[in-house]
Amino acid sequence: MNQWKLKEIVLMSILGVVFGFIYLGFFGVGKILTSIMAPLGLGDLGYEVIYGIWFIVSVIAAYIIRKPGAALMAEMIAALVEVLAGSTTGPSLLISGFIQGLGAELAFALTRWKDYRLRILIFSGVGAALLSFPYHFFTQGYDALEPWVVTLMFSARVISAILITGLLGKFISDQLAKTGALQGYALGKEMKQKKRDDHVA
Amino acid sequence: MVSSINPSVKMIAIVIPGLILSLAFDVMTPLIFFLYLLMVTVFFSGVNLKKWLMFFIPLSVFALMLAWTSMIHTDEKYAGGDILVDFWWIEITTGSLQVGISLALRSMCFIALTLLFALTTDPTKLMLSMMQQLKLPPKLTYGILAGYRFLPLFKHELDLLRQAHQIRGVSRTKGIKGRIQRFKRYLIPLLANAIRKSERVANAMESKGFTGSRERTHYHDIQVQKRDWMFLASMVSALVLAFYLSYTFGYLNIFGKTF
Repeated sequence: MNQWKLKEIVLMSILGVVFGFIYLGFFGVGKILTSIMAPLGLGDLGYEVIYGIWFIVSVIAAYIIRKPGAALMAEMIAALVEVLAGSTTGPSLLISGFIQGLGAELAFALTRWKDYRLRILIFSGVGAALLSFPYHFFTQGYDALEPWVVTLMFSARVISAILITGLLGKFISDQLAKTGALQGYALGKEMKQKKRDDHVA
Repeated sequence: MVSSINPSVKMIAIVIPGLILSLAFDVMTPLIFFLYLLMVTVFFSGVNLKKWLMFFIPLSVFALMLAWTSMIHTDEKYAGGDILVDFWWIEITTGSLQVGISLALRSMCFIALTLLFALTTDPTKLMLSMMQQLKLPPKLTYGILAGYRFLPLFKHELDLLRQAHQIRGVSRTKGIKGRIQRFKRYLIPLLANAIRKSERVANAMESKGFTGSRERTHYHDIQVQKRDWMFLASMVSALVLAFYLSYTFGYLNIFGKTF
């Protein structure tokens, strides 16, 4: 935490706050999808297909700030904001936030926080999916479900993490960098450097 | 009153039962704990019951939908007993009915726990308590509080964006595709503004002498008192009692094993 600049911490917090509210909004989306699928008896799948959205702040914060812990802490702040704003899942959301953030952080830790290419971002989302599923298996009582339903839910979560967390997360961050708002942060600096290199070449 | 309990202790007192309750797959355990939570909410929370029901009813309807899923796709381990309904692809046995009801009651416990926390806790006090009791770094605490304070501004900015788009004749396409497009059109400028603001706030904090050091004084000194520990103890012992009662009545079922 001592290597962090205050502006990076505040940025991470703000991202956490904004995405905490986006996460809350997507609970509504999940509920609509669940109600559509519930008559078929696949209600739980409604959340799984968009599950990647709940890991996205990890990838965005880590990709922009590029410091150890960014993915984990941003996710936990988002979870905390959901709790503060009165989420339906309650304070235990802090635990799932911690587990999801840890999964997302894993990919960056394995590359020693040096590699931020798309494949690592996708891997980070998948890590969050891999670690969070056993936890929800426990709290949501998936043990009582038939194995094929659980497998289907797990696959949906991983695919959603690849598409939404990895691809959409990178897309949003790159779009943000293009606005010039990130000039003081690692991603903005990298983009500036790249432009200069292209110019020279 | 629950609202005067130390926020950090209250958070722990709500998280622990939520986790332990996830062990039970029978009807009795969550039912007993749910009744206890109702009692606490009605007599000790000071929460307006009308307001509470406004949150609780829609959420529990949703919990029932999820329980329906687990009822008709019950694993063999739980699906024993007589067949009650056998219609087309839907097969419900006494075992699967039990699991469905148990999971619905579990969700309702989670909802009641959440509301007990959310409706009685002041966000600012929770953050300050997390800094003072749980040793969250001041830099993070004040960063989050600053971000939280921006929320009304975000709403204002969203209105501005909407008006700016309207005046320039950006069409509002309907349907899901239009919604996704609109989400994208609003999200990037909103985030970009938020980032610029966060940079300015950080500079302002530093220029006013905020160092983020842990050795600091607090204007709002938040303490832990005896009644906070009593609240924690009562929550945990109520849960233990729920497990014990359902064990003595022979209902207790942990991950498919009856005790």
